[in-house]
Amino acid sequence: MRFSDFPIRKKLMVAILMTSAMVLLLTCMAFFAYDFFTFRQAMITHLSTIGKITAANSTAALAFDSRGDAEEILSSLTAEQHIIAACLFDREGKRFAGYQRDTGHLLQLPEQPGKMGFSFQADYLEGYHPVLQGNSNLGTLYIRSDMGAIYERIGLYTLIVVAVIAIACLMAYLISNRMQRRISRPIQALAETARAISERNDYSVRVSKVAHDEIGDLTDAFNHMLAQIRSFNLQLEMKVQERTIEMEAANKELEAFSYSVSHDLRAPLRSIHGYMNIFAEDYASQLDDEARRLMNIILLNSRRMGQLIDDLLEFSRLGRKEITKARISMKDMVTSIAGDLKRTENNNRPVNITILDLPEAHADFNTMQHVWTNLITNALKYSRNKGETRIEIGSLEKEGDQVFYVKDNGAGFDMRYYDKLFGVFQRLHSINEFEGTGVGLAIVHRIITKHHGRIWAEAKPNEGATFYFTLSRQTS
Amino acid sequence: MSKAQSEAAREHQVKAVFLFNFAQFVQWPDIAFDHTTSQLVIGVLGTDPFGSFLDETVKGESVNGHPLRVLRFQKPEDVVGCHILFIQIPKNEQLREVLEKLKGRHILTVSESTTFIKQGGIVRFVKENNKIRFQINLAAAKEADLVISSKLLRLAEVVSN
Repeated sequence: MRFSDFPIRKKLMVAILMTSAMVLLLTCMAFFAYDFFTFRQAMITHLSTIGKITAANSTAALAFDSRGDAEEILSSLTAEQHIIAACLFDREGKRFAGYQRDTGHLLQLPEQPGKMGFSFQADYLEGYHPVLQGNSNLGTLYIRSDMGAIYERIGLYTLIVVAVIAIACLMAYLISNRMQRRISRPIQALAETARAISERNDYSVRVSKVAHDEIGDLTDAFNHMLAQIRSFNLQLEMKVQERTIEMEAANKELEAFSYSVSHDLRAPLRSIHGYMNIFAEDYASQLDDEARRLMNIILLNSRRMGQLIDDLLEFSRLGRKEITKARISMKDMVTSIAGDLKRTENNNRPVNITILDLPEAHADFNTMQHVWTNLITNALKYSRNKGETRIEIGSLEKEGDQVFYVKDNGAGFDMRYYDKLFGVFQRLHSINEFEGTGVGLAIVHRIITKHHGRIWAEAKPNEGATFYFTLSRQTS
Repeated sequence: MSKAQSEAAREHQVKAVFLFNFAQFVQWPDIAFDHTTSQLVIGVLGTDPFGSFLDETVKGESVNGHPLRVLRFQKPEDVVGCHILFIQIPKNEQLREVLEKLKGRHILTVSESTTFIKQGGIVRFVKENNKIRFQINLAAAKEADLVISSKLLRLAEVVSN
């Protein structure tokens, strides 16, 4: 898990802990460095003081050539545990007396006095001090101290630093744990509420405000936004409801209108057709050829108009009809319809209908029968000028939807006019070429829409067309 | 020089240095000096066994601002302005007499004589394991109003008469 993915609570904790640990570490290091150098200085001062005292004590021993006394004086340095060696040189620079702490091995000590003063060597501190009585020089004292004091100090310091950092981090943890809650809790509450809202779409929830800081402002803004969304939502719902009611009313009006218009048109038309038929039966023999031709045109057109009105009535009836869904075996339905249609089709050409495997569907039986009849009839109709009719009916799975299709090798159509395909009274072919009123596909479209499905087509002129449709997805 | 003679010469050489060193570890009262830079005199009463050693040792030296000087005296009456006096008189009876005369004069008396301390002398050279050491009579030193450094006392055998 990357740091940026940590919850805010952890980020705050880590930030606080890191900062305090860093500050402490730097402070301790600075202090340590300072102390280390002062302590080195103090070590020199300390050793030179001891040197001074020892040198002062050794004057008489040097002056009166008393080696035993000198050694006794030097051996008193045992009291200072870090002094590991010392020796006295006489006025001529010859070694006079020496002292060495029992460290298990013999130290290499200088044979003659060196330069006065103290200096740090690799792992010890050494120095020379003159032995003076009054102003006369009696000899030189050499003294050497190990670094044990510094090591002890470093050890002690490390221990203290570690302890301080540990305690401080613990304190920082406890304090920050309490402090961060004040920052992260409200944010957490906000985040949780936002999540709950997006999951449950409940905009009535409010986040309680804890403090008057930025998070408090955020909480206020969040609550305000929630209130706004809620009121917008309510307004929108009300508007939608209003519109729906309006639209339903308008739709009903329109359907009632079109139904009554077509219904009322039927009576005079039937009368025209009826009388024209009687007229043809009774007077045809008395008419000349031109009059008979005109009479036949009138008869044909009145019949066509009757068909148009019937289709229109069917279309508007479908609009008002409720669909009742049930399990349907599409395979059985299609086999039966295709068989019927193939039987009534005039056999001027070989007709080949392939029915592939079709899944069951949850749909309205009657309207679904209408859909299949219409699509297969179309396929037969538009392929009748081909040498052989080939129709394929099948299904496929597309984006989780069950898609049914009817594919033919007929006349097809130009995709440029695709948007006219499913319109009422819209035709892509002339009536002389293929009969029809242009209502069929509009009805199919309407049925599929009522099933909450989709219908579409793909075609090329003279290469056939494929009609696809889906039904609403099964939610069981 | 015979071996015994050279041995004696070395001894006296050491003693001459000791005499000089005594000057550094003994404090005289202010009245023992005329002023702060007046001479500190090392005197030899009687036979001088040091030859030129003593003169060579103190040559150019000074203690606490007092230049050192060596004077030789024949009779106790001659001893004037002296701070350290090495006494070498053949007869012991005379020694008491000499010391009587020097009493109260702030002189550090030094001798090799075995009865020197008993007779009221302050410092006596002795030979110990072939090394020159010394005895100090603290009471006598106090009487002469001299302060002897503890460092010197450390090395000495403190005795009393």
